[in-house]
Amino acid sequence: MPVSTSDRPSRRAVIVAGARTPFVKAFGDFLALDSIALGGHAARALLERTQLARTEIDAVVWGGVILPTMAPNLAREIALDLKLPETVEGMTCTRACASGLQAITLAAAAIERGEADVIVAGGSDSTSNAQIALPQKLVHALAPVAFGKATPADMLGVLAQLMPLNEVLPKMPRIAERTTGEVMGESAERMAARNSIAREDQDALAARSHHRAAAAIASGRFDREVAAVETGKDRRVYADGLVRADTSVEKLAKLKPVFARNGTLTAGNSSPLTDGAAAVLIMEESKARALGYTPLAAIRSWAYVGVDPADQLLIGPALSIPLALERAGLALGDVGLVDIHEAFAAQVLSVTKMLASAAFARDRLGRAEAVGEVDEARLNVHGGSIALGHPFGATGARMVTTMAHELHERDQQFAVLGICAAGGLGASAVLERV
Amino acid sequence: MADFLLELSKNPQARKLVQTLGLPLPMPEPLQRPRGPRGDRPLADRAVTLRTAESTLTPHVADALARAGASVTAVGTAAALDGLGDVGEAFGRRPIRTDLEALGGSKARVLVFDASDFAAIDDLDRLWEFFNPLLGGLARCGRIVVVGRPADQAPTAAAAAARNALDGFVRSLAKEVGKRGAGANLLIVEDGAEDRVAGPLRFLASERAAYVSGQPLRVSARAKAAPAAPETRPLDGKTAVVTGAARGIGRATARALADEGAHVICLDRPEDASAVAQLARELRGSPLAVDLLAPDAIDAITAAARERGGIDVIVHNAGITRDKTLLRMKREAWDLCLDVNLTAVAAITAALSDAKLLRANARVVCLSSIGGIAGNMGQTNYAAAKAGIIGLVRSLAPQLAKRGVTINAVAPGFIETRMTAAMPAGVREVARRLNNLGQGGLPVDVAEAVAFLALPSSDGVTGQVLRVCGGALVGA
Repeated sequence: MPVSTSDRPSRRAVIVAGARTPFVKAFGDFLALDSIALGGHAARALLERTQLARTEIDAVVWGGVILPTMAPNLAREIALDLKLPETVEGMTCTRACASGLQAITLAAAAIERGEADVIVAGGSDSTSNAQIALPQKLVHALAPVAFGKATPADMLGVLAQLMPLNEVLPKMPRIAERTTGEVMGESAERMAARNSIAREDQDALAARSHHRAAAAIASGRFDREVAAVETGKDRRVYADGLVRADTSVEKLAKLKPVFARNGTLTAGNSSPLTDGAAAVLIMEESKARALGYTPLAAIRSWAYVGVDPADQLLIGPALSIPLALERAGLALGDVGLVDIHEAFAAQVLSVTKMLASAAFARDRLGRAEAVGEVDEARLNVHGGSIALGHPFGATGARMVTTMAHELHERDQQFAVLGICAAGGLGASAVLERV
Repeated sequence: MADFLLELSKNPQARKLVQTLGLPLPMPEPLQRPRGPRGDRPLADRAVTLRTAESTLTPHVADALARAGASVTAVGTAAALDGLGDVGEAFGRRPIRTDLEALGGSKARVLVFDASDFAAIDDLDRLWEFFNPLLGGLARCGRIVVVGRPADQAPTAAAAAARNALDGFVRSLAKEVGKRGAGANLLIVEDGAEDRVAGPLRFLASERAAYVSGQPLRVSARAKAAPAAPETRPLDGKTAVVTGAARGIGRATARALADEGAHVICLDRPEDASAVAQLARELRGSPLAVDLLAPDAIDAITAAARERGGIDVIVHNAGITRDKTLLRMKREAWDLCLDVNLTAVAAITAALSDAKLLRANARVVCLSSIGGIAGNMGQTNYAAAKAGIIGLVRSLAPQLAKRGVTINAVAPGFIETRMTAAMPAGVREVARRLNNLGQGGLPVDVAEAVAFLALPSSDGVTGQVLRVCGGALVGA
């Protein structure tokens, strides 16, 4: 992997602000809002709060996982829905759960290359509006009827092809790996067993996530980041809907494992299906200052890695975090904040365990010493996806926004992010306070 | 001719019926063979029970298994288990440490017994203590690997006895488990070759060694170590030559090498030019139509090798038989058999070596035969040539070792090819059963063994004869 610190670009991309919708349970309050509508809410809130002149915007870059087939370029649809100037171009990227972070690093790269000065980047997902695909067999059988004039013989032919009927019924969508057929929870369950991650430790992490998120909400810490969404006449959603302030390790311990009979993963220590969106305003630094903004943070480095999905699907951040740190010229000890996406408590603990492992450093990173211990005090300081929820494409943008603010709150210089993603991907970025 | 009994035994009802009726018919277990080329973790999630030794070798064995993706359960003394250290942790594959009692008769796909700490005759008891309770739980087509040290380098007579005992033990164990399609083999690891055990272990513990059973294989540090290569497509960017590639074992070998990423020069006689051209096209290699007995054969091969900037693998597979009792054998039959099977192999290898066309860490694999080891009625010419190959390999191995070049022989037993299909039906039927697995091998089984010896990770194996014979009842 190339690591270069000598040729830092002369243009620097900075994070000016971030805004997101509340994150709510799938098939709940946001049922009527698809990814585009949710993205529109987040982006609109961002523009309103920053009072940015719309003519300054060069582009929208958006991340999404469950893309609407009829309009997969969410970014452009959001720009059009918000009536942004027609010149504001849009592109949509998808990198599973790292899609939101991908949109932000794409925006930063474009700005640093001089392609743009001001970009709205972010991501959104609506699990509630996942389209249920028709089996290819049905689609192919119906082709003569759908295109051209079908004769009665064609119609009979279509009927004949539809047997047996169970092959043409729509399948229940599931979050399964295409190559292994394994549901993500099953992969995480195996990771828990293989890395000896105890149920108690998972539940403790989950409880901490809820308590910290609840405290952040109660203190008003998230008010700068979360914007209410109007879902109907006199109906507004103000706050994240999944956080449970009253949960406890004892309560979580009562839940049954869901992915394996004698497993350790439960609904309580896994992230829930969630609807939501998050947006981040990224600018070239001098442009930001010229427009009168005070940048929050710069993106000092980023790294994306791949691991074998059949092995340890969600271990990627254990590789991407050291790589991003190396590219930033930093050690884990230099970083005051560590934010790891909580797909499953077992996955976060597997990652932190490997970061602390000398064997992992030696055998997987070719280093003499372990990357380092991540102490609880600086890890996911306001909770994570287990408590807040995880609208796939939005999570990266949520993490960037929270960490950019937190660098100032805690007077820290650097934060590192780690996100695991389907397909065996790991994504990381290092944020630097400006 | 298809193997009727093997086909019959694939049918569960028929199999049950034969067994219930107690018919005197052997029901060979259909072998599990690999699907597709090598991957990073050939033993992914397979239950492997490992007997650890108090030696420097055990961590290497455990590490190789962990990297191959195995779920290892380790048994042994507290000191031996401590010796594992943090092996496997980086891959989420730390061996589960337990003892034989706690293990009970648990099931396993692979049993690995590290006997590298055997120093006294009493140590042999550990074999009974490990295998007696665990053998019943070995999966069908399971694999057993015993790892030991060479008897000829033992410090004491007692140690030499214990070390050599492993040979007889493994050969007998192979016969016992063969009925279930399982195989047992012995890896003899010399001092200083501990870090070369991974490649051979991966091979013997996987279904790529399906038809290799009852064999000892020695691992040494004689040849210069090869640079590390990926486990997936390990032959990427390398050039291989396979002689006699038009059909049978040669064809399967060319395919296996191409599957692992090699550019294969498919060589066969001009009469088979179209078959070879077709194969070369399919494998994205290149054809070379040459008669090995033609005066310009060596020039043609060296020219082809030079064009590719030298070669990394050569498989001397081309061979012929001209069977007759010596009393009735014509001079031509004697000459032809020796010329093709031995003289050409020696000449081509020497020419490539002299012209510096064998790249550093190249692999030379020569096809020998069980006939060359055990002898065969009517094959004085063939057996002489094939035994000559073994002499050639043993003599050249130290000479080539400095540049990291290895040379080995593969000795197939009864393999279902055009050659064996031409045998009289009765003889063929008997010949098929005369091994531990009760069935003939397939060309792909030999190809797998050749491909294994052609890998960069086989740098610990040189000057060896690897039999692919299902543990044939004849031969030493």
